[in-house]
Amino acid sequence: MQLTINGQTLEVDAEPEMPILWMLRDVLHLTGTKFGCGIAACGACTVQLDGQAVRSCVLPVSAAAGKTITTIEALAKDGVSHPLQTAWIAEQVPQCGYCQSGMLMAAAALLEKNKHPSDADIDAAMTNICRCGSYQRVRAAIHRAALAMRGSAA
Amino acid sequence: MRRRSWILSALGATGALVVGWGILPARSRLGTPATMLPTEGDVALNGWIKIGKDGGVILAMPRSEMGQGVHTGLAMLVAEELDLPLSRVRLEQATADKIYGNVRMLLASLPFHPLESEGTNKPAKVRLGEWMVGKIARELGINATGGSSSLADAWDVVPLAAAAARAALLGSAAARWQLPLSELRVVEGRVQHPSGKSAHFGELVADALQNPAPTVLKDRKDWRLIGQSAPRLDIPAKVVGRARFGIDVRLPGMLFASVRMCPMLGGTVATLDDKAALALPGVKQLVRLDAVAGSTEGFAVVAKTSWHARTALQAVIVQWQQRKEGGLDSERIQQNLLNTLKTESGHTFYEKGDAAAAETGAARVIEATYTAPYLAHATMEPMNCTARFLDGRLEVWAPTQVPGFARGVAAKVAGIDVDHVTLHVSYMGGGFGRRLDIDFVAQAVRVAMACNGLPVQLLWSREEDTTHDFYRPLHVAQLSAAVDAQDRISSLRIHSAGDAISPRWMARGLPALAGPFDTPDKSTAEGLFDLPYGFAHQHMAHVATRSGVPVGFWRSVGHSHNAFFSECFIDELAFETQQDPLAFRRALLKDSPRHLAVLNLAAEKAGWGTPLPAGHARGIALHESFGSIVAEVAEVSLQDGKPRVHRVVCAVDCGTVINPALVAQQMESAVIFGLTAALYGRIDIVDGVVQQRNFDSYSMLRLAQAPLVETWAMPSSLAPTGVGEPGLPPLAPAVANALFVLTAKRQRALPLQV
Repeated sequence: MQLTINGQTLEVDAEPEMPILWMLRDVLHLTGTKFGCGIAACGACTVQLDGQAVRSCVLPVSAAAGKTITTIEALAKDGVSHPLQTAWIAEQVPQCGYCQSGMLMAAAALLEKNKHPSDADIDAAMTNICRCGSYQRVRAAIHRAALAMRGSAA
Repeated sequence: MRRRSWILSALGATGALVVGWGILPARSRLGTPATMLPTEGDVALNGWIKIGKDGGVILAMPRSEMGQGVHTGLAMLVAEELDLPLSRVRLEQATADKIYGNVRMLLASLPFHPLESEGTNKPAKVRLGEWMVGKIARELGINATGGSSSLADAWDVVPLAAAAARAALLGSAAARWQLPLSELRVVEGRVQHPSGKSAHFGELVADALQNPAPTVLKDRKDWRLIGQSAPRLDIPAKVVGRARFGIDVRLPGMLFASVRMCPMLGGTVATLDDKAALALPGVKQLVRLDAVAGSTEGFAVVAKTSWHARTALQAVIVQWQQRKEGGLDSERIQQNLLNTLKTESGHTFYEKGDAAAAETGAARVIEATYTAPYLAHATMEPMNCTARFLDGRLEVWAPTQVPGFARGVAAKVAGIDVDHVTLHVSYMGGGFGRRLDIDFVAQAVRVAMACNGLPVQLLWSREEDTTHDFYRPLHVAQLSAAVDAQDRISSLRIHSAGDAISPRWMARGLPALAGPFDTPDKSTAEGLFDLPYGFAHQHMAHVATRSGVPVGFWRSVGHSHNAFFSECFIDELAFETQQDPLAFRRALLKDSPRHLAVLNLAAEKAGWGTPLPAGHARGIALHESFGSIVAEVAEVSLQDGKPRVHRVVCAVDCGTVINPALVAQQMESAVIFGLTAALYGRIDIVDGVVQQRNFDSYSMLRLAQAPLVETWAMPSSLAPTGVGEPGLPPLAPAVANALFVLTAKRQRALPLQV
């Protein structure tokens, strides 16, 4: 079926009921998006569907028809890091790093609709699981990126 | 992680060999250029260091990166000694040579009390034990990443290897330029002379081994990298989705396998009908999996994607059979352990004075019984491994903490010589001890053998991962103390029971070295027999049991529950004798100045004794593990009747701090891992079946509940010790002790229940 992924429209060999996660990882070999639980509980598989953070392990490919999927591989645009990626490096967020693609995609969706998130906004939006305990750095990095984005927009 | 009993077993079995080794010269861990794999354009100077044509340096990396920052830490040691920017150190997976074995991890397995084994004035038995185990460890050369030992072990050899390389490069420059060595300097990866002569390492390496200068380790006052926070080398790839974990291996023609194992631990397949499953689209075949390397029997479905395999698994009609000994039951096991404490004295790990007599003559005896449940590791990346068997050779891609064991089991399953196995170690999405086991490697190889030369990636579901772990064993402990009429405490007695880990692990990983009987396993008693407190009379004994539940090393191992037992009981003693918990501990640490300093630092930074918002309370705990001492102060309140931890202040003495940023990261990590376990962690086994299956029933702490963690490291000139695990043990007792202030109810079981 035809899908738009990271700005490209592709003919993808996938059944409509196949979860987006496995289509990305096993059909297209876009492995930046991770498998964690298969029940939308951990967020490791978070991608964006038309800019909304979604958990791709339970969302079938059919749900992406006519919409745009964005994965971690396309968070940087035209070779320029997303401010969140810069902030993630500055705050030294990742440890094992496995959950971080999902964290970044969820954070990017948050900043799309909320340019000045409070701690409570971050608490509500960032429900992804990190076993390495990067949480306080995730929070700091989101604040840092938000500040940078507001600064560059002004 | 800790290996002890098997060492003692090996001593018994091979005593003559040990004596033989004893008279041999110490095995050099520097290796030779031939120890490293040859690569085009690079020149090896010893078993650790290669010089690139561009003047960059390549380090043979034996340790696995699972988030703890080991790749960055070891690269810093090289950059320091070679006076090279950190960014110019590249890593290459080390070969299977014995020089890469983790000697320090084995030394740490000796069951000596820290008061004897730390410092310069060690008793003869400690020196003899360390000499002998060090010798055996070098001969065995077991490459393992665990026991918070990577930097401690690398400290003995990596700076030396880098310094030897530096000396060779300096010697080469001196010979080429006909200039005295003393006038040469190394600056930013270039050898320079005041006359203006200058060359990078790549230009000097060709004849470096012909002109060796004396190897001189840098003086600590000349360090420019060690002790400074350096950014991790692996982070840039991890923020763009390019870091390759085991699950990310992609090869031409690759197939995907998904696994179901008997839900009853140790059970078997009775009958199996795969007709419907094999008829599904994209499905290739079903492969039966035997119980190997500690796993439970089951089967794998191979398909064109993981989704097709996962879907087809559910279409297999299978009847399982309970193991012949009957179903395992965690509640019954706990009751059995409590009964065991009444009937068995166990192995005495530490004794001082006469604790039993002190209790007999006491005005009163304070007693308490503590318990801790089974726990799963729940690494974010589920167990997986990729393998290809082609033309009698096996290639394996594995996220593993034990590459040697993984190669060994792969060869065994394939029935080929270990030299015909190539193993690639990937990044790991968490390890925490789970990847010290190799069951999933054995399974992947079994499946690959049936795939006609095509590569296959075997991936577990979260449910299989949670229900077929090697669990942190359930433990119980009885603690008692003698109090006189003036409320002075003269004794501490601890009697604990739980499954031994090391002998079971050894039998899975390296069966040839498993002993004929279990010798005392330090890994389950650690954190009880090695306390720093100066009670006049002490007795610590542990009963090692064997329940049949698959048990393994879980981040900080025995310390993870034993610190909860001991530090909560210490808090009870302070309360019962009407003393402040901090002051009470201080008074008991007169002979442990490092512990006292760490405790004081944590108390000071946390503002111990200063006012808190209404409804908040502080708890404190101190614990030494893996050579490092950590004190934590937790600030806790109750929200909707549930514990909410707001802030955790950690003070740590881990010897020389290599990278303060990594130390802080590991303290934060251990606090969150420990808090998750303290608040939510329990695995229940009923009729052999693990009841918790996924993150909906095995809960994890999330960002909204995460406390702010502050880390303060003690300045030290001692050799570096572990940081990956030591932040975990004090967390649960610090929180529990704060909860007591809030609720007046003692927490004697994990997870905490308010």
